[in-house]
Amino acid sequence: MKHLPLLLVVALAGCTPESEPLAVGPAPEVTGDAPVLRRLTESQYEHALQDLFGDDVYIPDAPEPDLRAAGLGRIGASQVTISPRGVERYEAAAYVLAEQALNDVHRSTWMPCEPEGVTDDACAGQAMELLGRRAWRRPLADDELATLVALVNDASTTLGDFDEGLQFGIAALLQSPDFLMRPELGEPDPDAPGKLRYTGFEMASRLSFMLWDSIPDDALLDAAAAGDLDNLDGLTTEVDRMIADPRAHRGLRAWTDDLLNLGTLADIQKDPTVFVYLREGLFEAAREETLAGLEDLVFARDGDLRDLLTTRHTFLDRNLATLYGVPAPIRDGLGPTDLPEDGARAGLLGQAAILAQFAHPRSSSATKRGKFVRETLLCQTMPAPPAGVNTAIPEPSPDAPTLRDRIAVHLETPVCAACHKLMDPIGLALEQFDGIGVYRTTEADTQIDASGDLDGKKYDGLIGLARAIRAHNSFVPCMVNQVARAATGIQQTDEDEASYDWLAEKFAEEDFRLQALWRDLALSPMFRRVGEVQE
Amino acid sequence: MTINRRTVLKGLFGGAVATVALPPLEAMMNRSGTAWADGSSFPKRFALWTWANGVVPAFWTPSAQGVGSAWELSPLLQPLAPVKSKLALVTGLEIRAINSIPHYSGFGSLLTGLGQLGTEGDQTYAGPTIDQIIAAQIGGDTPYRSIEAGAWFSEGMSFNGPHSPNPPETNPFAMYQRLFGPTFRAPGEDAVIDPKLGLRQSVLDVVTDRVTALQAKLGSADRARLDQHLSGIRDLELRLTRLQAGPPDLAACSRPDEPLSLDKLEDPFLNHRELADMLVMALACDQTRVLSMAFMTPVSNYLFPGATAGHHELTHNEPGDQPSVQANTIRAMEELSYFLSKLDSVQEGDASLLDHSLVMATTDVSLGKTHSLDDYPIVLAGSADGALVQDIHYHSTGRENASKIMLSAIRAMGVAAPSFGDEDRLTTDGISAIEA
Repeated sequence: MKHLPLLLVVALAGCTPESEPLAVGPAPEVTGDAPVLRRLTESQYEHALQDLFGDDVYIPDAPEPDLRAAGLGRIGASQVTISPRGVERYEAAAYVLAEQALNDVHRSTWMPCEPEGVTDDACAGQAMELLGRRAWRRPLADDELATLVALVNDASTTLGDFDEGLQFGIAALLQSPDFLMRPELGEPDPDAPGKLRYTGFEMASRLSFMLWDSIPDDALLDAAAAGDLDNLDGLTTEVDRMIADPRAHRGLRAWTDDLLNLGTLADIQKDPTVFVYLREGLFEAAREETLAGLEDLVFARDGDLRDLLTTRHTFLDRNLATLYGVPAPIRDGLGPTDLPEDGARAGLLGQAAILAQFAHPRSSSATKRGKFVRETLLCQTMPAPPAGVNTAIPEPSPDAPTLRDRIAVHLETPVCAACHKLMDPIGLALEQFDGIGVYRTTEADTQIDASGDLDGKKYDGLIGLARAIRAHNSFVPCMVNQVARAATGIQQTDEDEASYDWLAEKFAEEDFRLQALWRDLALSPMFRRVGEVQE
Repeated sequence: MTINRRTVLKGLFGGAVATVALPPLEAMMNRSGTAWADGSSFPKRFALWTWANGVVPAFWTPSAQGVGSAWELSPLLQPLAPVKSKLALVTGLEIRAINSIPHYSGFGSLLTGLGQLGTEGDQTYAGPTIDQIIAAQIGGDTPYRSIEAGAWFSEGMSFNGPHSPNPPETNPFAMYQRLFGPTFRAPGEDAVIDPKLGLRQSVLDVVTDRVTALQAKLGSADRARLDQHLSGIRDLELRLTRLQAGPPDLAACSRPDEPLSLDKLEDPFLNHRELADMLVMALACDQTRVLSMAFMTPVSNYLFPGATAGHHELTHNEPGDQPSVQANTIRAMEELSYFLSKLDSVQEGDASLLDHSLVMATTDVSLGKTHSLDDYPIVLAGSADGALVQDIHYHSTGRENASKIMLSAIRAMGVAAPSFGDEDRLTTDGISAIEA
């Protein structure tokens, strides 16, 4: 379990709207974490290719699946390698893309010149320079360019066609670690002798993968080239532009997918004989509900991120509306709607994406739901059950009709209770929602007791739980942690602690707006400074 | 001799493409169709086959031990009756791991011989798994060093090293394209003559240089990560070279039928069989000599037909002898039996492909209910060409180290390994009772 520094708890307590706002000082100076080498995530790879060649290009399925570590694919990205199968699939994808880049639809959208003859050094060079700068997020060095041009010339000669040869140059760009990996190693900082900072181009990459889940655009690379990303003013201009850009929606969606592991909804298995509201496409829509809700909160409203837990505003299609027992807001697709103010459902915890994901194929699971809240929303670590423990719980019976009755054994057995008392009471508050999220008041003809206790705060039902989490000391720092870890690709280090604390204070000062948190993080020394390579 | 790819390329681009003389590849075996390189022995193949959530040991371990008629299959092993004569069943072994992450600590320690790396939620093992330990020694002579498949879940249990999983292919159509697609040549067909193959190799040379240039700037951990990348690039380069050399002539090899569906099939049983058929042919065609098949992956909560709850949930909640859990295990054994029987149906010389193979089947825990790691269920099938005793049940009563069976398997594959495992798991001895 992580323990919040006491000072931070006190500071946060002082930041509730009821009290005088505290003026938060400047971000702490740091020496920088050691550089990490990240592999593009599945969605970053896809977005990068779309940004290079157009949204309509066909991109083969993710060559390498993300590997989650510490709850995020973005942390795993700093640890993974490229497997032999991955090499093969990246190669195949590179040629599929290279061919499309030069077809009738796409060629004219980017090709900077027309070749004179089967080989044309100048034109091959221009094409490689242009795509290389975008794909590798920096200008190509002379020798790198020369190698690629020679490769293109060789291929064009062999195949007797300039464009066919050029495909091999594009394929080389797209298989190179300069594209697939993110080397960000820093340079000496002229303003701080002995310290390193990320280069302007590395900052461009860091910003674009954080905010857009993709490669920089030309304007950002131009800003890097002009040195604008080396100072706070230039950086602020670009960060503001990027947050206002529609591509920031992609960044938010990718972060949400990663945080809530929404990809698992695609393969979720539920028994249709138990859950009669199951429909084709239900969980696809459920994922979209969660994503659309966050986009609305963060972009349309620039609202308080804590509202994520308690808002009645959401986006439903007809199947989800049926599931939730409310009128469908729209005939096709998802539409905005407000759930009843006096209803039992609100916020993230009331969404099918969460209720179904943290449940079993034929039933709910108080333990899984509680674990999700502890780990993902409060950033606490739940130990695994000790080995050798009899984990059986009683079958449903007249003596133990509800899940609460049956998993009471967890809390009666000391070895189980140590952890289950942290999880089960949270999940039991959600028992009025079944394994796919349908509201119910009884189980086996017995009234469901949805009362609970979150670290001393008593509540009833989903709404009560959501409010308790919202008010919990760990929730806001945890959201900061989830944003910062995803952006840096590493777990919080001792070196980062002061920066994380500062971000949480600043986040509170700025009314818990995610856009403000992104800006503060992007401009902070922690995000701009890098340590020495570790041998 | 070693392959000089430059010679091939120069020939391809220098003149009349179709008349290029390709150098014989050192490992292309002999071409008689009845035997292999040395004229007598077929290559050994290894397959790791895994199911989920363990067993109920009381119904797994046969009551008697011995060879042949001395032992009978237990209730959970009944589906393996058609191949009983080719089994080497070992029971009573203990995985010596700190069982901190149920379903992963023990499984990872068994497969790697090492302790657990990371914490819950880190999807990694501490080192290469047994299939890759073996592939590193015997996988270099085939187009694919190893092939990984999954009948349902996309999580892999084959690792090249920490954080280096080999993601399994779950889609039979994609597997077909990979193994038997446009670049596959069945025995008797001509080599692939395509100048683009050489160009693709030139591209990979450039990529290799880029990886190497990047490595020079990085710390040791990241350099090691990129070594994995380089290793994959080398595998691909070698594969492109082999394509230009033509297929080996193998009597048992033929191009299988292309799957009808472009997607993963609708249930894991059908999907497993579709993939298993293809994998067996991949071995017969010497596309690879090392396989892994995850029928189900650790902690699978798959809802088996007719079950009242997901598999993992059942293992914990079902009381008594857990008949539903047992039914799931039996269903998994039926799939294992299918795979083994299919291997056994392929004739190679005067024996079967299964005889020339060693299949290791195991799972992520012993008793799912308690996540126990003792009395661990491990089935070996096939003799690896006479290296293992067949039709034997050996029951260890002394809580022997499970690393021993791994070492027996590695050595049966012809790999001269001095030991397996580290710390408590270290062993320099196999299980002599099953070694022929």
